[in-house]
Amino acid sequence: MSVFMDLNVLFSADRSRLQSLVETAAHLGFSTVAINYVFEPTTKKKQEVPSPVPISELIGHLPVVQGRSRPIKVLNRLTVVMSEASHFRPNATEYRAFDLLAIQPTTEKLFHTTCMLCDVDIICISVTEKLPFFFKRAPINGAIDRGVVFEVSYASALRDSTMRRYTIANAVCLMESCKGKNVIVSSAAEKALELRGPYDIINLYPPADDKCLIGPSHSEGTWKSTLCIRLHETWCVVFLTSLSEGRCLVCQMLTLKKPCLPPAEPFYCMQKPGRLLVALCTPGSVSRTPFRTASVKLLLPNDPNQPDGD
Amino acid sequence: MVRVKSRYLLCEINVSDRRDLLKLDDRAVAGSVKAAVARTHGDYGAALCSIRFCVKYLNAHTGIVFLRFHKGFYKLLWSALPFITSIECRGQIIPCFLNCLHVGGTIRTCQKFLIRYNTRQLHQMLPKYKNKVEEKRKIQEAILSCSLTGGGNKALEDELESEEEDDE
Repeated sequence: MSVFMDLNVLFSADRSRLQSLVETAAHLGFSTVAINYVFEPTTKKKQEVPSPVPISELIGHLPVVQGRSRPIKVLNRLTVVMSEASHFRPNATEYRAFDLLAIQPTTEKLFHTTCMLCDVDIICISVTEKLPFFFKRAPINGAIDRGVVFEVSYASALRDSTMRRYTIANAVCLMESCKGKNVIVSSAAEKALELRGPYDIINLYPPADDKCLIGPSHSEGTWKSTLCIRLHETWCVVFLTSLSEGRCLVCQMLTLKKPCLPPAEPFYCMQKPGRLLVALCTPGSVSRTPFRTASVKLLLPNDPNQPDGD
Repeated sequence: MVRVKSRYLLCEINVSDRRDLLKLDDRAVAGSVKAAVARTHGDYGAALCSIRFCVKYLNAHTGIVFLRFHKGFYKLLWSALPFITSIECRGQIIPCFLNCLHVGGTIRTCQKFLIRYNTRQLHQMLPKYKNKVEEKRKIQEAILSCSLTGGGNKALEDELESEEEDDE
């Protein structure tokens, strides 16, 4: 049962635009949508944090999600673009009106503080510019332990080819440091035509990001002998639950913690119902332990791309 | 026995204005897919697209299109589809996006899925026509007559077409 959410739909004052956005999201199969109010404080003048318009005023009748029987759920979300530490006040009362809180840090120090200390749900990775700082493992692991997710948005990639390069570059950097954990993909859509279906997005990122490539043609059920398994955790499009259905076959390496880099070519695969026994040959250790067996649990998808009926 | 296998992608074209859908034709869709693949994956992608790619079926009324790809690299070409932002047809640019509903190994499986999908769409349309008894009866008849044989499918498409014209 896969639930898809699009947690970044930009707020616009035009009601009809928002209405059509939510309707398209429901038609594509998203069960939840979060309307994003972007707040960019500058030191020059004091700005008010925007207060969310109540949902009932914005969108009259909530459309039913495609493939399910319940109407779409709409949440409110605030994104604070931080360029200084004073921009985000931890327990401000205005923040309580929102369901989700997000921060977009612009410097390395701020990124570190946000990951370790700030009480937010989402950390946005900017996609409109080349990241001025590199990701380090320490703050990212700290954020993962706390349950904060990183967000990559794809609407700017659809508009311009330079933006596309920045999006892919930043996403790949993020993947390398966080190994795919705790990442969500969302559209920062302003118009209804900038939304994309969930299965298209799942398929979008793997070729761009090598780390996510799970393996060749397993949907046919036969495993080729030169299968290269990359070590990676599950890629989440679903917010905070693991994706086990969908087009990708997700393998979790249970025992192999120390990666034999580059990944050794497995030459023996035996498929049992629900489990795959893989024997890897670690390079350079022919004499001592030529084989390391890992038992990999297969999480097989349903028949491709069928939105679950409820 | 080596059999030539393909993957058929069932996509739905979403536009903001339904009347634009009727202007589409399969060559325009094929051209825009090839252009998007070339933009995203460069010469390699453009070359892959020339192997056994074609638009097998296009329904201008509902915006359903069947794309056929080579089985070995359909995922790569599929990943370029979200980057389609408009389709150019006979000098007009129609802003739209493609949403992939189903991937099948044969046209028959895609057709079976499409029939179930269309039935669901008709079910969703039923509440909108509460006051119009005649339309409601027509929808119900169409739902009941859905089947895999050619006759049933045609009735479904005619029904959908008249429903969408009423929708506007």
